[in-house]
Amino acid sequence: MRFRTQLKNTRTFSKLTASLSSLGKVCWMRLEHDVVRFTIIPDQGTQVWAQIPVDTIFDEDSYQIESNSDAINIEINVSVLTRALRSTFGASSSQLRLTKKDKMPLLALTVLTTEWTEGNMALATDGAEPGQGDVTGDRRARERETWITQEIPIKILHESAVEGLHEPHCPDPDVHIILPGLAQLKSISDRFTNLASTDSKNRQPGIMASDGPNASAGAGATALSANTAPKLELSANMHGKLRLVIATDELRIASVWSGLVNPPLDPAHISQEQYSQLPSERMRGVGDDDESGWAKVRIDGKDWSRVLSVGRLSPKVVACFINEMALVLYVYLPGSWNGEESCLTYYINSFTT
Amino acid sequence: MSSLTLSLAPPALVRLHDVLICLSKFSDTVAIEAEHDLLRLSALNSTKTAFASFVCEREPFFEAYSFNVRRDIRSSSSSTAGDRFYCQILLKALLSVFRGRVDRNKDTAVERCDMELHEDPQETECRLTVKMICGLGVIKSYKLTYEPASIQHAVFDRSRATNQWIADPRFLRQIIDHFSLSAEQLDMYSDSGKAVFTSFTTKIMEGKEVLKYPVHTSVAADKRDFEEILIEDNMHIAINLKDFKAVVAHAETANATVTARYTQPCKPLQLAYDFEGVNAEFTIMTRGEVEGETAPASSRVGMPQLSQRQTPAPISVSRINTPRGVTPSTQMPPPPPRSRPIRPLNGSSTQEHLAPTAASDRPSASSVSMDYDSLFVPADDDRQWDEMEEQEEPQDILGWDASGRQVCDSSGSVQRLAADKIQDNSEPTLQEAEPDFPKMADMRRRPPKDEMGVPPTQRMSQVRGLGLFD
Repeated sequence: MRFRTQLKNTRTFSKLTASLSSLGKVCWMRLEHDVVRFTIIPDQGTQVWAQIPVDTIFDEDSYQIESNSDAINIEINVSVLTRALRSTFGASSSQLRLTKKDKMPLLALTVLTTEWTEGNMALATDGAEPGQGDVTGDRRARERETWITQEIPIKILHESAVEGLHEPHCPDPDVHIILPGLAQLKSISDRFTNLASTDSKNRQPGIMASDGPNASAGAGATALSANTAPKLELSANMHGKLRLVIATDELRIASVWSGLVNPPLDPAHISQEQYSQLPSERMRGVGDDDESGWAKVRIDGKDWSRVLSVGRLSPKVVACFINEMALVLYVYLPGSWNGEESCLTYYINSFTT
Repeated sequence: MSSLTLSLAPPALVRLHDVLICLSKFSDTVAIEAEHDLLRLSALNSTKTAFASFVCEREPFFEAYSFNVRRDIRSSSSSTAGDRFYCQILLKALLSVFRGRVDRNKDTAVERCDMELHEDPQETECRLTVKMICGLGVIKSYKLTYEPASIQHAVFDRSRATNQWIADPRFLRQIIDHFSLSAEQLDMYSDSGKAVFTSFTTKIMEGKEVLKYPVHTSVAADKRDFEEILIEDNMHIAINLKDFKAVVAHAETANATVTARYTQPCKPLQLAYDFEGVNAEFTIMTRGEVEGETAPASSRVGMPQLSQRQTPAPISVSRINTPRGVTPSTQMPPPPPRSRPIRPLNGSSTQEHLAPTAASDRPSASSVSMDYDSLFVPADDDRQWDEMEEQEEPQDILGWDASGRQVCDSSGSVQRLAADKIQDNSEPTLQEAEPDFPKMADMRRRPPKDEMGVPPTQRMSQVRGLGLFD
């Protein structure tokens, strides 16, 4: 078993691992000849399946992989990997390889930096004795080389251990829509979540009594005991509209985006006849102002916030709504928009009321 | 009765705050020692493996400084010895007084800070008073309680240090930045023009939890990146990364170049720098493998993980009494007679019966691979109990200087336990330097050597205690 490669786009790699690590620490990394797959299946919450072409993060010419099964399966702490990748910023070369030390498998990251970031010129300016002046000058003129080695412990997974792992199967989506900018979506979602959680924390009996018309006080109490985190309602229709709602006993706030794109599905994959049978086409037929044309999911605000941390990669995101059941996000990294190339797929379950 | 009054200008106030923050990374309390022309702030960590000391000189650090001692007939104050005063204060309390006091462009920004302390046995309430003189005539006063303390200093003999490097703290921070946040130890060595810093964690892991194994990070920097570096090749020396980070962080705020001095593993290392009338010294115990026949240095080359092996998992307190026979060195000479607690200074355990340690009986210290436990009492040497030879100080004394003086003088108040001694076989005279007890008369509870024929067994804490309740 062999794996060795030079890294490229380490910023992208690092942002990718950082986004993944917000969902879970343990990551299944599968190295194949053409693609690298990252999968995180946490005990609770959203799971993510990522498929990255080798040349997105690795230098294809130096990419070497040897394995009996044509793939190497690794279990790695992805936040540790993220931290280690920080050493590669500004480096002149970075290499990742599979190695072993004391029978323990490791992913070794070797980085060569030929200069430090700013501040290096100030080295030795203070405290240097007059006699060392020449040395100081020499030091400045020189290119400084520093080798950094990060040895990340990993677990090698046998092919049989990962055979049973499959992406979830989902029904065809009712609505598919391109999400607005994730930065905006995240800040609004986070604000909603915070509002709702402070609201439920500060709630006092006296205030409860005053919200007469709202009869859902009892329902709110049970929701609190079951799962204290407030749920965001996210819904969309096939007419380019997305709606984000938070509702508690005291407040109900909604943001609506309009003019978004409902992307066409790839006609190569389905026939015209099938196409018209799709639930999303049915939904398209429903009028813009008809509530039945909306597909809705209820999601955990904190979990959603973690999912949206993928926004740091500034991707395009297609959200597929399966009404009252699940939300599937297809996250395409920039530069790979027109293929199934770099794609992260998030599977988010909808909570029931 | 002693009194201390001092004034600080705003810049010094900021410096003092920085110093207190740095000290708080070592201990919960700061020991304050006032002398005629200096104020020393120090902290010793709980495991006694790191000692941080800041000496603030009267000039130019303070705007005004005055310290007076009037000795009573009845020297009731245990914390006044000679012409000095010492006490300790909770750092949390002190930090809250100084937090965020300066650099506010407000009318009521601090213009001067006055501190005052009068200790008088006649008084029922003795407090440290801190007054912040602010703009618009605002004066904020704080009264802090303090407690008497037995001040302990780690002793480090710079003249004996054989390895030394000087580096810019920003350069050191750039190295630290690569380390994982959870890393605990830092191993340093040099190899053909490179200085290699490796962070690691000594942790016994369950076989299953491979992913929780600590990351090893090593950074190999060109020696020319140091202002000066003169260290033995391939000698691994390891210290607590947390201590190192604390020092570098503070040196960076003080903009002072750090000098490291050390001799060999399991001997103390000192990091030092000066800034604006403050002299900072950090004495840190090191771990590693003492060079010797068991592990030739050359075998280490290219084995970055070695540091993990050569430093067995941290010995927990409960394991401390393990006899030396279980230490990992396979070729270790017979253990010295009797087991003994490695942390005798803390303790409540019984007196030890140490057999006389004639030079011929001694295990060759150079062949011993040991973990350390305490800065003051390295685990590898029974000779730590010997009284220090005054004239001929052996290399690298690691011991008590309860008086607060760096030099052991003839004053009766000076008591010193030689915690560590001769390791250097190249100095034959050191081996012959049998322990002597010149000041035995002063150590009241210690039986004279002739009577017992054993080295001192009295714990330092108990000796201090005597003074306290006299």
